[in-house]
Amino acid sequence: MFQNRAEALALALPAAIFAGLVFLVPVILLLSEGFRSADSWSLSAYADFFSQPLNRTVFLRTLKLGAIVTAAAAVIGYATAYAIVSLPPGAKGRMIGLVVLPLMISPVARTYAWIVILGRTGIVNQALMAIGLSDEPIRILFSETAVFIGLLQLFLPLMVISLISALENLPKDVVPAARVLGANWFQVFWKVILPLTREGLVVGGTLVFTGSMTAYITPAILGGSKVLMLETLLYQQVTVANNFVSASVIAFILIVMSFAANILLKRVATARNKR
Amino acid sequence: MTQRLFAPITLLLVLIFLIGPFLIIVAASFSAGDTLAFPPQGFSFKWILKVFTVESFRDSFVMSMFLAIGGTFAALLLGIPAAYAMSRYKLPFSETVRTIVSAPIIVPGIIVGLALLRYFVVPIGLSITLALFLAHTALVLPYAVRVVSASLNNLRSDIEEAAVLLGSSRLGAFFRVVLPNIRGGILSAFILGFVTSFNQVPVSLFLSGPGVRTLPVDMLGYMEIVFDPSIAALSSLLAFLSIGIVFAAERFLGFSRYV
Amino acid sequence: MSDTSFLTLDKLSLAYGNTVAVKDLDLDIRKGELLALLGPSGCGKTTTMRSIAGLMTPVGGRIRLDGADITRVAANKRAVGLVFQSYALFPHLTVFENVAFGLKLKGMRGAELEAKVASGLKSVGLAAFADRKTPELSGGQQQRVALARSMVMEPKVLLLDEPLSNLDARLRLEMRTELQRVQKESGVTMIFVTHDQVEALALADRIVVMKNGAIEQIGTPEEIYNHPVSSFVADFVGFENIFAIRDGKLVAGTGEVFLSGKLPEAAGLAWRPRAISLGSGPLKGIVRGVSFAGGTREYVLETPLGIIKAEVDAALPAHALGTDVAFDLPVGSAAPLKRFG
Ligand SMILES: Nc1ncnc2c1ncn2[C@@H]1O[C@H](COP(=O)(O)OP(=O)(O)OP(=O)(O)O)[C@@H](O)[C@H]1O
Ligand SMILES: [Mg+2]
Repeated sequence: MFQNRAEALALALPAAIFAGLVFLVPVILLLSEGFRSADSWSLSAYADFFSQPLNRTVFLRTLKLGAIVTAAAAVIGYATAYAIVSLPPGAKGRMIGLVVLPLMISPVARTYAWIVILGRTGIVNQALMAIGLSDEPIRILFSETAVFIGLLQLFLPLMVISLISALENLPKDVVPAARVLGANWFQVFWKVILPLTREGLVVGGTLVFTGSMTAYITPAILGGSKVLMLETLLYQQVTVANNFVSASVIAFILIVMSFAANILLKRVATARNKR
Repeated sequence: MTQRLFAPITLLLVLIFLIGPFLIIVAASFSAGDTLAFPPQGFSFKWILKVFTVESFRDSFVMSMFLAIGGTFAALLLGIPAAYAMSRYKLPFSETVRTIVSAPIIVPGIIVGLALLRYFVVPIGLSITLALFLAHTALVLPYAVRVVSASLNNLRSDIEEAAVLLGSSRLGAFFRVVLPNIRGGILSAFILGFVTSFNQVPVSLFLSGPGVRTLPVDMLGYMEIVFDPSIAALSSLLAFLSIGIVFAAERFLGFSRYV
Repeated sequence: MSDTSFLTLDKLSLAYGNTVAVKDLDLDIRKGELLALLGPSGCGKTTTMRSIAGLMTPVGGRIRLDGADITRVAANKRAVGLVFQSYALFPHLTVFENVAFGLKLKGMRGAELEAKVASGLKSVGLAAFADRKTPELSGGQQQRVALARSMVMEPKVLLLDEPLSNLDARLRLEMRTELQRVQKESGVTMIFVTHDQVEALALADRIVVMKNGAIEQIGTPEEIYNHPVSSFVADFVGFENIFAIRDGKLVAGTGEVFLSGKLPEAAGLAWRPRAISLGSGPLKGIVRGVSFAGGTREYVLETPLGIIKAEVDAALPAHALGTDVAFDLPVGSAAPLKRFG
């Protein structure tokens, strides 16, 4: 550990000043707009924002989608991660590779694929009609379901990876030990696996939740203007309504959510380091 | 029996869900038909070839490349010294510095783009290209600092002291013994930054003007108007590009160690 | 400062922020001397070494080397070598390149460089390993590379921070001899840190015992071993029975203590287990532990003075666990301590 403070500052300051100037200052200015009315500080912009039914709907929908995507990712994630960690080493590595592969692909491309699948003449509708479940194409695109599917596909890998590392750190043989002691699979999960992997679940859950909350591309492509979420609403407020105050309010909500999630993550990370 | 089938069936379904759509896109890009559909009608390279003839794609591809390479490069120039200061020095206010430098990861990109537009581009007249460059640099900076920090922390700091005692200057020690040992980390940071920046949409949404646009934003605009397989073709090409880069990085650098 | 002093620490004070690690340290080291810095963990050994090497700036005092004041001279200009406890080899370089590192910085090139590195490697028996990457070497080999890397620079002083602590017992013995040989052959002034008294006694010309950032005693191995000045040093070099003297009496748990002989003018007395005579004497204890140690037998006695450890010839008849036994603390074979606590 070098002691020279001047040298340390000289090395670190360019990055800090850059981030501060290019990033912190404009963002804080933007956020401050939501707290001003006329010439004084006020919360009236927030009252206005939440007094409009559309805004309330979008806010609640964003929370709801974030929550159910996270819940679904947790359920599927546990099954997948458990299946992956029980594979032999070589296959495990390849399988992890396949799970993270989508993360490298542009979200635009990944989301676009669902148009082909969920559209009026898409695979799902073709299949439904072919087996006679439906006479005419049903509307899946531009619904919450479509956005849910898109978000789940986008963020599931993050959950799986977090749970894989949590499951790999499970003390060896606790699961067989619980089985030998007479626990059924449900009990094994609830009483042994879940408590021991809670940190991984929190890490994955926060990543998925904030990712879904702050997603733009998926609601834009699969939800359109029918299923607005906070980010697409923000975009609309700026480009269509030219309402920067409302945009600032949304920005603040998004940042608070994201910040809270990150603090939670940090807590979990430091708690883990202490052990 | 049911237990034995549980794992393979779960994995199969999840892989279909995660990768299937991408395969469909790839298949659709070889369609001979004029609309996006699956199964594709016939087989041809016409959409793949068309991608290269669309002028706006070419321009926005160049822009995205410039941002991804230039922005990541700039982020590393800022981030490596910062990471070094944080890992090797008793840095005053180190928590504050760390928070400021990693803040762009917490704030959604769309807000950064909007803020830059509203306070730099409109009032000061900063060019959109420059604003994009700054935004992408800020966006990549946290990743650069994090990955480089990780590889610095894996390197014992006494080798720098050993180099100094053997007659090297502090700066010389950095270039002679630190840099060669964190090369893998820096390259990994570069690749991670490149992929992040290249695929990034929200930050660039508001930062577009006549002829200045990143490729993903351009694609978003195009697909609202035209419903032909060219976006599928372009998506496949880009996907193979990123997968190829990451695969090579993993192969030669053990990329995943750092990320 | 004496005339013979080659390296002088003069009222050296060192601190990490507000934590003072070393305070007003005075030390004279002669040219060609092999000096051991001995002390418990956290007493400031590493800190002292780092300041001599120039990796740490003193908050007070001076350092003089070979007639020049080097207190403010940069670490890379001091001609002081340091072998790190972790060896600090450059992992991206081969053995040859590691050893050549400093020489190249001096501008040495070509055949001269090759020859110098080769002879350095030969002197530590690693000539055959020149092209290996250092992470592929065993601990002992890495240690030798680190030694050669410093030695080829022909430093005025070579510092070694716990050079042997990462090695297994057998290698440690081997490297101990090796160090001694290299030092005698080259005549380099050498300071090495250890918290192993056996190592210090075996290797050093002189030993410096440190405690809480200050020197407790300086002396030859014989002096330190036989005449510790304080209870701290006595404890460190294996006196297991140490008592304070207050008001002309030995301070014991209870009662009066009869000793055969007159108490000297001292702050305390210390006996090695071997100095206790067992079987007869004015004192009584109960045998609470007995273990056979080859040529001797070691006893743990519970006595009114507290626990006493004694070691007697195994040929003598054994005292059984739980039995009473008489013993004596012969004043004549005790080491008188100048300071207690
Ligand atoms: N980087 C540091 N920051 C703050 N205090 C330190 C630092 N390094 C050492 N110290 C403190 O300085 C004192 C002396 O430490 P030093 O490392 O010199 O001990 P040492 O004798 O080498 O111990 P050891 O045998 O454990 O290596 C200790 O109290 C230690 O806690
Ligand atoms: Mg030490």
